[in-house]
Amino acid sequence: MKEVISTTALTKIYGTLRAVDNLNLSIKEGEIFGFLGLNGAGKTTTIRMLLGLVKPSFGASYLRGKKISTNSSTDIWHQVGFVVETPYSYPELTVFENLDLIRRLRGIKDKNRINQISKVLRLEQYAAKKAGQLSRGNIQRLGLAKALLHQPNILLLDEPTTGLDPAGIIEIRRLLISLADKHRVTILISSHKLAEIAKIATNIGIIHHGRLIKTIGRTDLKKQLKKSLLVEGRDRKALKSILTRAGYEIYSPTTKSGPLQIRDKNAVAAPEKIATLLVNAGHPPTLLKVQQEDLETFFLRSIQKAEQEREIADV
Amino acid sequence: MSRLITCIYIEGKKLLRSRTPVVTTLALTMIPFMGGFFMFVLKDPALALKLGFISTKAQLLGSADWPSYFNLLTQAIAIGGILVFGFVTSWIFGREYSDRTVVDLLAVPTPRSIIVLAKFIVATLWCFALSLYVLILGYIVGKLVNIPAWSFPVTSQGAYKFLACSLLTISLSTPVGLVASIGRGYLPPLAFTTLALVLAQIMAAIGYGHYFPWSIPALVSGITGGSHPVFDQTSLTIVLLTSTLGLVGTILWWQYADQY
Repeated sequence: MKEVISTTALTKIYGTLRAVDNLNLSIKEGEIFGFLGLNGAGKTTTIRMLLGLVKPSFGASYLRGKKISTNSSTDIWHQVGFVVETPYSYPELTVFENLDLIRRLRGIKDKNRINQISKVLRLEQYAAKKAGQLSRGNIQRLGLAKALLHQPNILLLDEPTTGLDPAGIIEIRRLLISLADKHRVTILISSHKLAEIAKIATNIGIIHHGRLIKTIGRTDLKKQLKKSLLVEGRDRKALKSILTRAGYEIYSPTTKSGPLQIRDKNAVAAPEKIATLLVNAGHPPTLLKVQQEDLETFFLRSIQKAEQEREIADV
Repeated sequence: MSRLITCIYIEGKKLLRSRTPVVTTLALTMIPFMGGFFMFVLKDPALALKLGFISTKAQLLGSADWPSYFNLLTQAIAIGGILVFGFVTSWIFGREYSDRTVVDLLAVPTPRSIIVLAKFIVATLWCFALSLYVLILGYIVGKLVNIPAWSFPVTSQGAYKFLACSLLTISLSTPVGLVASIGRGYLPPLAFTTLALVLAQIMAAIGYGHYFPWSIPALVSGITGGSHPVFDQTSLTIVLLTSTLGLVGTILWWQYADQY
């Protein structure tokens, strides 16, 4: 499959801060790449460099093999749609006029395209409303409409569902999946809504302090998501004591209530042994459940590991 | 060419939909009425005193005639225009950063240089329209006040000098666009415009106005009382050079600098 979005040793330095550090990405046609990271990790800076808004300090970014910079040839932009952080529009112009402005800038001759995209994003009823009077969610919808107006085959989306209601989030999810599956649109999406990313991304990249610390496909991710056994009983303290004496390491979250977690592979594979142990000790469990970690936990675990490695490297 | 026309349409629409046209029109409307008021007072100081427009302590200089009136209008546009025309350019560029709409203009199939050029063209067209408005309104006010010594040659000479000063002042707005782009908002260019105006007065007062771009329109308008030709080669070169540097600088900034 063709490589559509790529970066080579992409680096951006602001003073002493390495906002993006030696980033190497390769996103193929039709992929939905979930780009995850904490606030300030470098996600938005990366997208800005991919859009030619900001010059890299070192390295390069490419869209369809074309090197991107602040003075890039304009031809590539026919193919690229984007939402960068909050998508602001001209407040004195109506929704229709804002879209018309983008239509003209992008050289789209078909005026009907505005009505089409307004319908898809449920903006028709707001067509005559000034953008300055829109709600947060509709501002986001307008931003998405501007990104999709010209039917791009590359989408760079930075928090595209911020402010949308749950129905809106589902709509956008379905739309993005459809674009990728049916129209081979390549999508790079950064979001803090990890549950959403888990549902749509074919590949995930985690960036931390400007560095890509992990890249993983959906199939491999499922294998890497750890399983744990949740155990709950009437006397939490006694349960903990019994299991610890039996040699099981208890994962202790910060809360002092709720089920205990055992990550031991053997325990997860044979929970009935745990049940037997507790029953024989006179403390039968009220809950015994095998749980797979979600993307959120995997993400936090990856970040934690990266922080530990960073501390070791600093020492 | 069609892209440039499209961009001019877009920038024109944004400008006309904003409050800038109303604000700038109102601001410059003061000029002809102020000029007409002074002509009325100078024409008949006794009547003005009787009507309470002036007090007994008023010290008025000048004469009430069309050449003086046109000089007054021209001086006002040469000085007031720096602020008002600068405000227009400041808004056209600065708002894209303050309203964070600049992103929509940067990663599009239309070259950034075309967009910048369109912004300057719209700024120039609107500022020139404002100048024509002041000239026409000034003429009407002058007729209403019944200023003496009207003649066609006086009017055409006055209009020529007025429009020449307007064009000189308008052309000095391009550095404002650059400052707005570098400063990423309204305030830096407004501060620059104010500073330019203040420096223009100082430079003119100390005799170096011929070399300071923003002093030149006022010198051409005759504000120092001396005669300064409209198309003095040195002055024209300085103004055109400043204007060109502002235009080219803004284009280069949009093309090569980190924008966001």
